[in-house]
Amino acid sequence: MNKTANVVIIGGGISGCAIGYELAKRGVKDIVIIEKDYICSGATGRCGAGIRAQWGTEMNCKLAKHSIEFFETANEELQYEYDVEFKQGGYLIVASTEKEVNQFKKNIALQNSLGIPSRLLTPKEAKEIVPHMDETKIIAATFNPKDGHLNPFHATQAYANAAMRLGVEIMKYTTVTGIKVENGKVAGVQTDKGYISTPVVVNAAGGYSQDVAKMVDIDLPLYSERHQILVTEPVAPMQGPMFMSFSLNIYCQQTPHGSFIMGRGDANEPRDLRVTSSWHFMEEMAKTCTELLPPLKELRVVRQWAGLYNISPDRQPIYGPVKEVGGFYLACGYSGHGFMFGPVTGVVIAESILGETPTIRIDMLDKDRFERGELLLEPSVV
Amino acid sequence: MLERTGVATSENLKEVTPGKERLSKGPVAIIECFQNIPCNPCYTSCKRGAIKELIDINDRPMVNFDVCNGCGVCISNCPGLAIFVVDESYSEKEALIKMPYEFLPLPKEGSYVTGLNREGKPVCRARVEKVLNTKVHDRTPVVSLVVPKELSMTVRFFSLDDYYSDNTIICRCEEVTLGEIREYIRQGYQTLEEIKRISRCGMGPCQGRTCGQLIMQELASATGKRVSEIKTFESRPPTVPVKLGQFVGGEDNE
Repeated sequence: MNKTANVVIIGGGISGCAIGYELAKRGVKDIVIIEKDYICSGATGRCGAGIRAQWGTEMNCKLAKHSIEFFETANEELQYEYDVEFKQGGYLIVASTEKEVNQFKKNIALQNSLGIPSRLLTPKEAKEIVPHMDETKIIAATFNPKDGHLNPFHATQAYANAAMRLGVEIMKYTTVTGIKVENGKVAGVQTDKGYISTPVVVNAAGGYSQDVAKMVDIDLPLYSERHQILVTEPVAPMQGPMFMSFSLNIYCQQTPHGSFIMGRGDANEPRDLRVTSSWHFMEEMAKTCTELLPPLKELRVVRQWAGLYNISPDRQPIYGPVKEVGGFYLACGYSGHGFMFGPVTGVVIAESILGETPTIRIDMLDKDRFERGELLLEPSVV
Repeated sequence: MLERTGVATSENLKEVTPGKERLSKGPVAIIECFQNIPCNPCYTSCKRGAIKELIDINDRPMVNFDVCNGCGVCISNCPGLAIFVVDESYSEKEALIKMPYEFLPLPKEGSYVTGLNREGKPVCRARVEKVLNTKVHDRTPVVSLVVPKELSMTVRFFSLDDYYSDNTIICRCEEVTLGEIREYIRQGYQTLEEIKRISRCGMGPCQGRTCGQLIMQELASATGKRVSEIKTFESRPPTVPVKLGQFVGGEDNE
């Protein structure tokens, strides 16, 4: 079952589906998205479903803001028959140290200069927004009402459906086994269901990005790390925004459906591809959550799961072409925020492939920035 | 077992069932009569001589499957309602089962009912092809049901309630109907995991204990696979809902 394509995208998460859609929208024909399981089976479908513009670097702020503006009209733009469930309840990011407050003040100045309406709050003001929090544990907070929650399955499916309507082919349950390079250029992709000759390959493989890059002999400075999440039974709406803290290591949000989704990072996680669940996480998460949001101790946990962060040295994505192999493009290394960057990823990668004037300049997000030492370190990640 | 449960075991059935080859050829009578009782209307009703003569009236009837053409005359003549005619040549994926039905109201031809197995458990949606209720049937009407072929030897009764209709709530936690699940399958969702993510089935407090099997049945019938070939949900801890407070050491009775 061999065939020919103009672009092959590896990865059926939100990045891959958004890139496919944006290329097709710009008139590109014969696009194939290859996904080894099903749409959303990887990092996208396992993420915390949070959307925020409150970042610490200009680049991340711009990328996030563009995506949020897209999500606000995603149902219409993508003509989705269901609902992507975008709830703009804001993000309340709390600070527990003076150092953090200083960083937040800098972040807010940056965010406001870019048109992001975030503001600094006292613990008392923060408690008005999330009344069930223990405000004695924090010394300040920042809040952006435009941030929020989005359903990863529906958002990605909306992109996938829109892409398919424009003629994009999505090959589910198909594994890429190799990428053929001829004269320094991409020539085709070998899969377990046949060979596809193509001049352009996009690596949007999430936690598997470094493995895909190895197929063209490129070593990406990325590693994958398990991050775990739990979800509770649904209850009546009681928490509008995402409650988040970098120093206290928690993010916790009530979805429109009523359940609470919460997660935290763990510095001791092994750097491999496992997505199993640990008892340790459940205990630590319960401890953090019940200390900061005491009434939630009455909520029953129904499920926990894990997904992969694909982490780059400066916690910002790697976008665009590589100098070693012509026609090979990267859209990876999101470091835990690839889902919320989905729309902007689609736009900037499509523009990069077609040589269009960029909506947001991404040339400084190339993979060689690490060799050049031009890192854009993002301070605000969980 | 049979004496205690009233449900024939696979060994019991082996004695009275024709081979696969005969079943595939067309309609044939299957007499699920397992007791030596003084009774012989089946033998006397068969004009083709397909039911062997009962030398002793207490003998169990035996069908000569090569002579039987599945006409079904014997069905309403059996006072024990033990005779069925199975036709696996009905269509590529369906079989027709003719069975006695002595309840009112009778089902309507063309309507959908729920096929039940010998234990009375629902196993599939079935279409009522024909209802025969003439003087000859002597108040034992014969109902013909169309069922999935692999259930031709499983369905032996039915409920008038169409459990498998589109309106049936299949996931009680998230209130998802069978119709919604069927629509997702039509749209190309191929596995339980995909359907879970898009529909929320299996994400509720029960973690898919009820809906999982039912969706697997739908996927099986849509793809022509057996239910055992459909992959189950990945199980995720905790298996029962546990309060967050309990993980950090709650008080008594919490």
